Amino acid sequence: MNAWIEKQRYIIDFTISSLLRRKVKNLGLLALYTLIVFILASTMFFTYSIKKEASLILKGSPEIVVQKILAGRHDLFPVGYIDTIKQIRGVVGVESRLWGYYYDSLVGANYTLLTPPKTAAGESHAKTASVEGEAGDADSAASSKPLLELNGAKLEPGTLIIGNGIARLRKLTRDDYMPFRAFDGTIMNLRIAGTLSSQSELVSSDLMLITEDDFRKLFGIDTQHVTDVIVTVKNPSEVATVAAKIKKRLIDSRPIIRDEILRTYDSIFNWRGGMMIVVFSAAVLAFVIFAWDKASGLSAGERREIGILKAVGWETSDVILMKFWEGAIVSLSAFFGGVILAYVHVFFTGSLVFEPALKGWSSLYPNFDLTPFINAEQLTTLFFLTVVPYTVATIVPIWRAATIDPDSAMRHTGE
Amino acid sequence: MIELVNVKKVFNAGNPSEFSALNSVNLCIAENHVTVLKGPSGSGKTTLLSIVGCMSRPSAGRVKLNGREITSLPERFLTDIRRKTFGFIFQQPNLIKGISVLENVMLPAYPLGEKRSQLRIKALHGLNELNLSSKANAKVEWLSGGEAQRVSIVRALINDPGIIIADEPTAHLDTKLSYRFMEIIEKFKAEGKTVIITSHDPLVYEAAMVDRVVNLRDGRIEDMPA
Repeated sequence: MNAWIEKQRYIIDFTISSLLRRKVKNLGLLALYTLIVFILASTMFFTYSIKKEASLILKGSPEIVVQKILAGRHDLFPVGYIDTIKQIRGVVGVESRLWGYYYDSLVGANYTLLTPPKTAAGESHAKTASVEGEAGDADSAASSKPLLELNGAKLEPGTLIIGNGIARLRKLTRDDYMPFRAFDGTIMNLRIAGTLSSQSELVSSDLMLITEDDFRKLFGIDTQHVTDVIVTVKNPSEVATVAAKIKKRLIDSRPIIRDEILRTYDSIFNWRGGMMIVVFSAAVLAFVIFAWDKASGLSAGERREIGILKAVGWETSDVILMKFWEGAIVSLSAFFGGVILAYVHVFFTGSLVFEPALKGWSSLYPNFDLTPFINAEQLTTLFFLTVVPYTVATIVPIWRAATIDPDSAMRHTGE
Repeated sequence: MIELVNVKKVFNAGNPSEFSALNSVNLCIAENHVTVLKGPSGSGKTTLLSIVGCMSRPSAGRVKLNGREITSLPERFLTDIRRKTFGFIFQQPNLIKGISVLENVMLPAYPLGEKRSQLRIKALHGLNELNLSSKANAKVEWLSGGEAQRVSIVRALINDPGIIIADEPTAHLDTKLSYRFMEIIEKFKAEGKTVIITSHDPLVYEAAMVDRVVNLRDGRIEDMPA
């Protein structure tokens, strides 16, 4: 047993010295390999964490959103439909919402305008915005991350509360004015009452909170219509049944349940991650070709060395074991190096390199720190996609070379 | 004792380039003797030596080592016999560049898993015997031709083999170094080792300590041993 351990030690020592002898070549390979793992791991960490973050935030979103559909498109929702929904057994609350998009041609960005939910804005018509997350607030403690945080700003007629992305893009601060062109061409100047908390920036970066009256004035929507309604259901397991009943009673409506929104977010970020991988697949391919070439095309020096080792009494299995360690050392170092660098890149530098491709859309990019979430399954997949093929690619040609007769060392007289 | 019975070696069998390097060679090599395989280039000396040293297999015929038939043994066993029984000295020193003299000398013993401290002492002792102890930590590319040759001799002896095989050992040595090499061979003989050398250098096959010269031509033995 001791002899076996000692033999492994000798072989590993010799492998390390063999790697150091071809320093430049091996360091170049290691750097390239680490870069590939870094790119793949960064994309993976980012996509997974952002999905996780989004799903945590969206946990606080409505159970059912009901829209009216006209010719397959989203239409304004008649207020008269609300009573029909309220009559459905299991429904505990129906709340109307007003929201829409406004294109700012000055910066080429699309904003999301929303009248705050009544629970957040307060029941009174004074529309005083409540402050989320204030100490001792039992409700806020019970809920997960709030969808909107108003930072104590008061939303009054003629004012706006804007997301951080908009504030950065337009360089706006509290009490600045922002002009809007209303549906009839008139100009509306709205004062900035405050900005939204940066904690919810992933979903609120492009958001503007506006009062109901101002919203209706801006878009020309009468009081008999809202954008859509949100429905609260008493028993969470009945959400799908209630949605089906809404659809049955209001033929031209489309109930959207929370799980569907989560699925949509999931596929958006999966798609973005996939897109990144497709873009970088060219780099991966280049690496594969390089690694294959390096691994399969043994240099004359390496062949000679194998011949000498065999001639002085090394077995084929000893040579393969040595080359296995060589491949394993390079690929494991690259794997761990790449993964650690990717971790630092995604969770400490805010994905500096991939930011434009993975975050946000239009001209607005949310600025937020991701909470580190690591999926063991993904790491294992990455391991098997990088370390294993490289190690195998190294062994196959060595096996071919190692099975040659050792007398070739006697015949190769060139130094 | 090594016995070769009707040994043939054919390269590229079945191809238009088929070439017969050895033709029905029958030979007995006695223990504790110095045997020289002599012949012109292409006569089959190195092929015969590699078959004797278990480095390659004959296409036909049998090889016996101390009465044991070794021709049909699997590669693993053949390797084991090779590293325990034979020490090889090649025409070129065949040292591995980039590592020290000491590491090169210890290399054949790595697969045996001998304790490092003992192996080190053994290697240093071997280097000392051939006046190379000051070079133990030097890189092999810094050595002169003669030093490199002597390092390869120390390496051949690290597993204390009973048989030393040397292929054209003086081909790249000057006269002085060739004489020095033959002195070392004499020492091996005195220690009771069997030495088999291929050479067409008169300095080798005419040396006093050589017990027998086997002449090879076109893959055949020209004169049978007396």
